[in-house]
Amino acid sequence: MIDLTPRPLRLLEFYEDGEAARHFSFAVEPLAGEPAAQPGQFFMLAVPGVGEAAFTYVSPPDAEGRFSALIRRTGTLTAALFALAPGAVLGYRGPFGRGWPAAGPGERLLLVAGGCGLAPLAGVIDSAAGELQLIYAARNRAYQVLARERARWHERHALVETLDQGDDGRPQGHPLEALARVLDEDGLPAKVLCCGPEPLMLAVARGCIDHGLPASRIWLSLERRMHCGVGLCGHCYIGSSYACVDGPSYRYDEYLRLLAASGQAAATALPPQPC
Amino acid sequence: MQAYELDSPERLRNHLARERLLYQPQADGQGALRWQRLDDPAQPFVVPAEPPVFSAKAFFFAEREALFRYENGRFIALVPEARPQVLFGLAACDLTAVAYQDRFFAVDPHYQARRAATLLVGLDCAHSCRHGFCAMMDSGPEVRAQTADLILCPLAQRWLLLVASERGAEVLAGLALQPAPADWAQQRDAQALQVAVEQGEQEEIALGCAALNGETVDSQAWEALGLRCLGCSGCTSVCPTCSCFAPLQQPSAGGVVQERVWDSCLYQGFQQEASGHNPGATPGQRVQRFWYHKFGEDFRQRFGRDGCVGCGRCDAVCPGGIGVHQVMKRIGEP
Repeated sequence: MIDLTPRPLRLLEFYEDGEAARHFSFAVEPLAGEPAAQPGQFFMLAVPGVGEAAFTYVSPPDAEGRFSALIRRTGTLTAALFALAPGAVLGYRGPFGRGWPAAGPGERLLLVAGGCGLAPLAGVIDSAAGELQLIYAARNRAYQVLARERARWHERHALVETLDQGDDGRPQGHPLEALARVLDEDGLPAKVLCCGPEPLMLAVARGCIDHGLPASRIWLSLERRMHCGVGLCGHCYIGSSYACVDGPSYRYDEYLRLLAASGQAAATALPPQPC
Repeated sequence: MQAYELDSPERLRNHLARERLLYQPQADGQGALRWQRLDDPAQPFVVPAEPPVFSAKAFFFAEREALFRYENGRFIALVPEARPQVLFGLAACDLTAVAYQDRFFAVDPHYQARRAATLLVGLDCAHSCRHGFCAMMDSGPEVRAQTADLILCPLAQRWLLLVASERGAEVLAGLALQPAPADWAQQRDAQALQVAVEQGEQEEIALGCAALNGETVDSQAWEALGLRCLGCSGCTSVCPTCSCFAPLQQPSAGGVVQERVWDSCLYQGFQQEASGHNPGATPGQRVQRFWYHKFGEDFRQRFGRDGCVGCGRCDAVCPGGIGVHQVMKRIGEP
């Protein structure tokens, strides 16, 4: 049987990490036999008196149950979370969902992230054994997240950063141009992992396909409203799948098949959103 | 299947009610039937001509229930108190829906606690209800063997009682019963066939289902149907297989209680995210979603059968006139 009751989680500390975004450290009592969280999986964070919402790990729980998460203040639950001080007791359920595919031996990965979409890719970058390239798009410098991690990653990996509005107010690079350049200059990677606003992800996927990369080598992390995390409450559907158990990482060809079978076209109801 | 002859359903009912809470469809004073607790053993059992307004799903998947309490830094699981109960007189369609939800909620402790404490007594339909098409949806008219503990079958002159599970056999202890005549199965089959004939070909359902899975219905057709959807959740409330729920935090003495309540994919905010992004932003998309969940081939593969059991309740309840028959007719039209 599943357990819908959270375990106590302690808010250890946090620091500002991008506009309206904080990097939180949490600690949860480890459970014997608990599966280790994989990059791209998520957990349900309970704020007592407000509710639960899904967030991804930047670093997964260690042996002592300590982990970190990058959270942007967006709705009522995050507003309540941002009002709490270190030491506060919250609730935790997880890990949930299907994370990113593992890189095979010698495989080169290309990661494309937009805005907060960098967070679920952090675990991939930190645990990468092989070659890895990263394109990170954000609406402006203030909106960029994971500053400390990016400083570290710059030393080890090829990292391209683009801004919709650069410091002078003009665009500084463009994620799709950066993508095309990387694909042209370095050839096709083994896999592309992408997370960001859905229109960006779909544009990235199309860009990859235009360069000859099969859809089966492109992975997207889809955001949907999630309440239960265990495939029951019904909110996070994508076609006949539930993003909380079948995703949030979807192979692009699977995603297209799910949408087609359910009669939905990709991106029909997606307003263009900046990263 | 062991078969007995039964002089009256009330004799069986009152036997079962001795050690369990017993519920049966009873007149609600508003011209319809609702599942209600039997208080008076003298009350007759009336064979429903039309299904109860609500199916039996709320007995297991509660319309509103507490999941856990938060108090003094601790989360305390709240598992429902399950008392032995019997649902007496479930139609084949509703029993198929219970079996469908048994599978969907297989690992849900709240659902299963209630389900394990419940005895299911099915009732074969002798006539079709107004909107029913169970024969086409492979959920009736006769109760499917794996879906009930006991099955009542009203024949012209007498009642049959069929034992459909070990538990069903056990609860008959102490009840003197005569074996049914040798041709009981033929009589039962003939009656089921007659009900299926009453329901007719149901061509619009077949055509609509083919169109839905053939990906030939364009978004404009769905939006036209969406115009008629009031987002009232009537269909999802009465549908015996709908299972979506939403969380609700309620203050309680010294803490908060997390509840879950029935939700509806026809509500505008069902998929709305905190960012404002809403993958189900238009009424047409939401109407399409509902019917895809009931008839989509992918869901059939995933859950072992169609999500629709052909009870016809959505036809009866929808104020916009987009119950199953009208939706299937419109999308199935060339």
